[in-house]
Amino acid sequence: MFFDLVRRNSKRNRRENGLFFSSLLAAIVAFYIILSLPNQAVMGFLKEMESGAVDRLLSLIPAFYAVTLFMLFFLIYFASRYQLERRSHELGMYLMMGMRRSKLFFMLLAEDLWSSLVSIFVGIPVAVLFSEVISLVTARVVGIGILGQQSTFSLSAVLWTMAGFLLIKLAAFLLLSGKFASTEIGTLLSATPEGAKKQRPAMLYRIALVIGALLLVTAYILAISGEAWYSLAAMGMTLSMGIAGTLLLFFGLRTVLDTLAKRQTGKSGLGVFTFRQLQENVIGQPISLAVSSLLILGALCCFGYGVSMTLYYGSDDTHTLDYTFQDAENPLVIPEKLKNLGLDDCFESLFDMRIGHILSEDDNEGEMLGMNEVLALIEQEPDSSVKSDLLGEYNNLNNPYIISLSGYNQLLAAAGEPPIMLNNNQAAIYGYAAFTNREKAELINRVLSQKPEVVVNGERLQLSGTLQTRNPVTDRSITLYFALIVPDETFDRLADKSYTHYWNAILSHQFVQENSGLMQAIQQVNQKLDTTGIHYESYLQSMGRQLFYQVSSSYLTLYLAVIFLIIANTVIGIQFLTQQRKTGRRYQTLVRLGSHYEALCLSAKHQIQWLFALPAVVAAVGSLFGVRALFSGFLSPDMAENIPGLYRIAFVILFLLCMVEYGYMLAVTRASSKYILTQMEANREE
Amino acid sequence: MKQAILEIESLRKYYGRHENQTKALDGISFKVLPGEFLGIMGASGSGKSTLLNCIATVTRPTDGHILMGGVEVGALKGSKLADYRGKEIGYLFQNFELLDNLTGQENILLPIGIHGVTEKEGNKRLRELAEYFEITDVMNKFPSQMSGGQKQRVATARALILSPQIILADEPTGALDSKNARMLMEKLAGLNRMQQSTILMVTHDSNAASFCSRILFIQDGVIFHELRRKVPNETQQLFYERILAVIAQLGGGSANVL
Ligand SMILES: Nc1ncnc2c1ncn2[C@@H]1O[C@H](COP(=O)(O)OP(=O)(O)OP(=O)(O)O)[C@@H](O)[C@H]1O
Ligand SMILES: [Mg+2]
Repeated sequence: MFFDLVRRNSKRNRRENGLFFSSLLAAIVAFYIILSLPNQAVMGFLKEMESGAVDRLLSLIPAFYAVTLFMLFFLIYFASRYQLERRSHELGMYLMMGMRRSKLFFMLLAEDLWSSLVSIFVGIPVAVLFSEVISLVTARVVGIGILGQQSTFSLSAVLWTMAGFLLIKLAAFLLLSGKFASTEIGTLLSATPEGAKKQRPAMLYRIALVIGALLLVTAYILAISGEAWYSLAAMGMTLSMGIAGTLLLFFGLRTVLDTLAKRQTGKSGLGVFTFRQLQENVIGQPISLAVSSLLILGALCCFGYGVSMTLYYGSDDTHTLDYTFQDAENPLVIPEKLKNLGLDDCFESLFDMRIGHILSEDDNEGEMLGMNEVLALIEQEPDSSVKSDLLGEYNNLNNPYIISLSGYNQLLAAAGEPPIMLNNNQAAIYGYAAFTNREKAELINRVLSQKPEVVVNGERLQLSGTLQTRNPVTDRSITLYFALIVPDETFDRLADKSYTHYWNAILSHQFVQENSGLMQAIQQVNQKLDTTGIHYESYLQSMGRQLFYQVSSSYLTLYLAVIFLIIANTVIGIQFLTQQRKTGRRYQTLVRLGSHYEALCLSAKHQIQWLFALPAVVAAVGSLFGVRALFSGFLSPDMAENIPGLYRIAFVILFLLCMVEYGYMLAVTRASSKYILTQMEANREE
Repeated sequence: MKQAILEIESLRKYYGRHENQTKALDGISFKVLPGEFLGIMGASGSGKSTLLNCIATVTRPTDGHILMGGVEVGALKGSKLADYRGKEIGYLFQNFELLDNLTGQENILLPIGIHGVTEKEGNKRLRELAEYFEITDVMNKFPSQMSGGQKQRVATARALILSPQIILADEPTGALDSKNARMLMEKLAGLNRMQQSTILMVTHDSNAASFCSRILFIQDGVIFHELRRKVPNETQQLFYERILAVIAQLGGGSANVL
């Protein structure tokens, strides 16, 4: 009997309150997704290459789990509170009919447990499927082999998911039933609005609005100008100004809505009612609206940052070389060795890049490279941070490298670029791409266009051409920050005889295609190379490094973004539905005054649109600055150049946000229309 | 004879079925003429609210006819029904039913928004009504900042803003003290006298009832007695005493049944 009631009640709850049930499912999926991260195919793959970084990331998972636990607790708490309020009349009736509070408590507890079990029963398979799909999609997108990939299923993840979910569910239940136990039956039976909250003078709210807006603007300015990133204190100050500003803004928003309502007076339609209802909502829960807004802002920043990082790391088009081979003892036998391994037809080209130090002669030590003319030309440039950085860099060039022209021109040819033309007393400059943004390159090129001369070991060389930034070797065989590219003859004359031969190779297009992608082609070749003693660097390492940043930044930021969004929207939706229920009587009165069902639904729809739009718009405006601020804080100079491109991404994200908000609005509107219908019928009886 | 505004013909309303059936209305017939101030009295549970609710289309009668201006109310649907509720009748509730998050003025203008009357007309009527009901200084206050009497007068202004054919009032003085009740009744009677407004009022209060021009007494779902104030000779006091006499008879001697 008792359990029959429990089962029937919880089934009805699920059917009637889809929002509540979906929140439960979202919580379960969220837990599982974060816990199954180590089982993702990409992570397994990366672990082989970047095991240190991956381990560090994976060690963060418990922290993420805790954060998720904390945030989902609020989601569940809010959702359960609404659920309980929705049923308060029914529960009051049980008490009136003489059910003891303790019995009622156990009934609710049993219902809660039952619904948790059902959620787990439905949610776990959904979560497992979800994580599997994510794993497959990322594996496909980054191009690693799916073959032999194990499933992402993990029993411990399932168990931890269940534990976390039941924990927050129980905590929310106990907290709510504590509140419920102290409520009078009469209050339970009559769903009345909470009564007008104490209103303070309107001036106060206007001031709050203005100060809130000012604080927000200041926070934006600090964040964008980059000032917020100078110190922890500045950052804390910016953040607290942003948060306080948002709170004050929502606190003062009632005056705006008051004005809007007054403007609607006497106009056709339920405009006044719409805005007054909205105002009541904003007055009743300014904090939860402000928090929702901040959560949406957090989601947008996460999205924006995650997506941009992903695209940035994914768009490395400077890659030309797949392999660099080295053999310290006998460098010239490398082509022979590769041929013996049967690898020669995998490669499209194989060429020697000679890189070495400038031969040091005892008498002019410390002055191997004379850059005075160059430095003088730089001095003439208008002052800028780039200029002073460059001066510092060029003043401290000790023992620079030189590169032989023939090898470098072969690299350029492979990349489809024109060769560098140099005569015997000319040289070109090479600079590290990652340390060279456009501003710096332009400055250097302006200097180069005046053909200054440098002195190398007493020999004058005229600088020619433009700044070269193409990495002469694969990945990190050697990292050059500055080098001179000189014709081979000059190289033979000037280089220390212990220079190194770097044999660069590029895999043939056909071979890559046959192995379904570069990543697997390299893996294939590596397997063969590993059986010999040849020392090599392959592009796989940098790919792996990129992939790691790409995957981990996108996985975690997108994860957080989705959770933030779900929580914010659920809280707003529930807040609306709760208020609507409490003010059901008003809808009845409107019906008595001759309102149509359609007009009431329209008013509710407008209320919903406004209620969702207010925090979302505040967040969207904030996010334009917030993402920008994240960039000024974290971006490498290269990425900072591409701000317009990043903004394009931001707009796509805003569009996605609109879609999500629209979906939530639709769901809440549907629930509201259903409720209004019951209020119409309450008026008609039978 | 004048054409009746409202005609009730053998109206029946039964709640429940078979054994525990309640016959709230059991064949009631009467007419309301234009400019009449009709009171309805009866013991608790005699079916007064049910009658009013049937006229207001909140409850559907089991049987019988309700004709408003010759139109069968039961047949109204959709926008006609909504117009009827909002424009043809004005309803006064015992507990006012003001929306407590709207100001006085916004509450009064609500029917205008709902039924899309032009703003100009509405504002003029609003000023007239506010002055007549002495509520000009609560126009910008919220119901929680008004007295009970002010609330009911605001609610009355709301019921009148679209100049309905008839005002239905279910114990409008039920939640008011005697002073406020008297003031409301004087205002309603004045409206009836000067603008020939038609009012149908359910009340327990003999004092309130003495403002009416005619009173129907209901018992067990049927009309059991009718009193008509003899104009212009009979004073309100005399009429009041006659009402008390009927009540005493109705309640079998005890006057507090109503
Ligand atoms: N919704 C309903 N369902 C069942 N019975 C009802 C319903 N509404 C009213 N009744 C019954 O119909 C009868 C008439 O009720 P009604 O509310 O019309 O009385 P009333 O004359 O207004 O009484 P009061 O003076 O106390 O307001 C009562 O016996 C009541 O119990
Ligand atoms: Mg009644």
